[in-house]
Amino acid sequence: MPRFYVLEVPENEGVIRVAADDPANTVDRVGPYRRVTARGPIVIDRRATGCRHAVWYSAVAGLETSVITQHDKDALRVEAR
Amino acid sequence: MSDNIQAHEPDPVHRVRGVDHAAFPTFDPTATVRFYRDVLKFPVVHSICAAGWGPEKHPDFIHFFFDIGNDDRLAFFYYFGWQPAGDQSAPGDAWARLPHDTPEFFKNSRHIALNVADEDDLLEYRRRLDESEWPVEMQVMHETIESIYTHDPNGYMLEITRQLRPVTPQEDLDAELTIDALCDVASGEDPSMDKLLTRKAELIVARAADWEKENPLWHETEKV
Repeated sequence: MPRFYVLEVPENEGVIRVAADDPANTVDRVGPYRRVTARGPIVIDRRATGCRHAVWYSAVAGLETSVITQHDKDALRVEAR
Repeated sequence: MSDNIQAHEPDPVHRVRGVDHAAFPTFDPTATVRFYRDVLKFPVVHSICAAGWGPEKHPDFIHFFFDIGNDDRLAFFYYFGWQPAGDQSAPGDAWARLPHDTPEFFKNSRHIALNVADEDDLLEYRRRLDESEWPVEMQVMHETIESIYTHDPNGYMLEITRQLRPVTPQEDLDAELTIDALCDVASGEDPSMDKLLTRKAELIVARAADWEKENPLWHETEKV
């Protein structure tokens, strides 16, 4: 089951919002982190997040039994390892 | 609190107070002074004229200092008669030259960054540099800072930066977890970002919830 963590800071709000808007994802809290979990691959559209590049490429804080299979100007894709 | 009580408080573990000085060699003191004193308006605050001495064949030298704010200083050594080493057309600076195929990101990884209070001050330094022989090469909005960059006459990269917002307590926790994960991964085989993020997730699960119990007001500091 793909799962990743994002630190809750203002710059990461777009990533958290896009993840939470997708009904396939469950977004909960672990301390000051948001944890995104899904049954299938998690895909975050970069443009929808509004993140500028420096923020986008440093948004992922942790990977649990998961692997990043895409992280470019278009999207972040996290799949089960 | 009385002096008497203060006298019994334990000394802090962390006692250093910032940069006294960071020192670099120069082979072009004239341009160095023009860049730091005349363009950036950093006052010259100290200098030493020293005859060569000691067991090594030490050349005579001038050691001179610029004020970089906060009573911190940027210092240079000029050694009379000393010549730069290496292929001067190769990437690098007055201290060292690197192989010709060294990428820019690696060359520029070693640099000094000075802090300014706000956008007005950042743009003032941008204006001073842009009117000089050393115009700003890049202006970049990073995660939580905005910076301008140029190279000084010695090839040292100088960054001037402003914070876009204060660092939050949860970022201090995140930095601790990152560094613990990095030390674990870097001491193992084939370090990678994938391994670091996997290790960091373990540390988040182990420590982040307890951290929140100890820092229940972290949400409020985020709004400052």
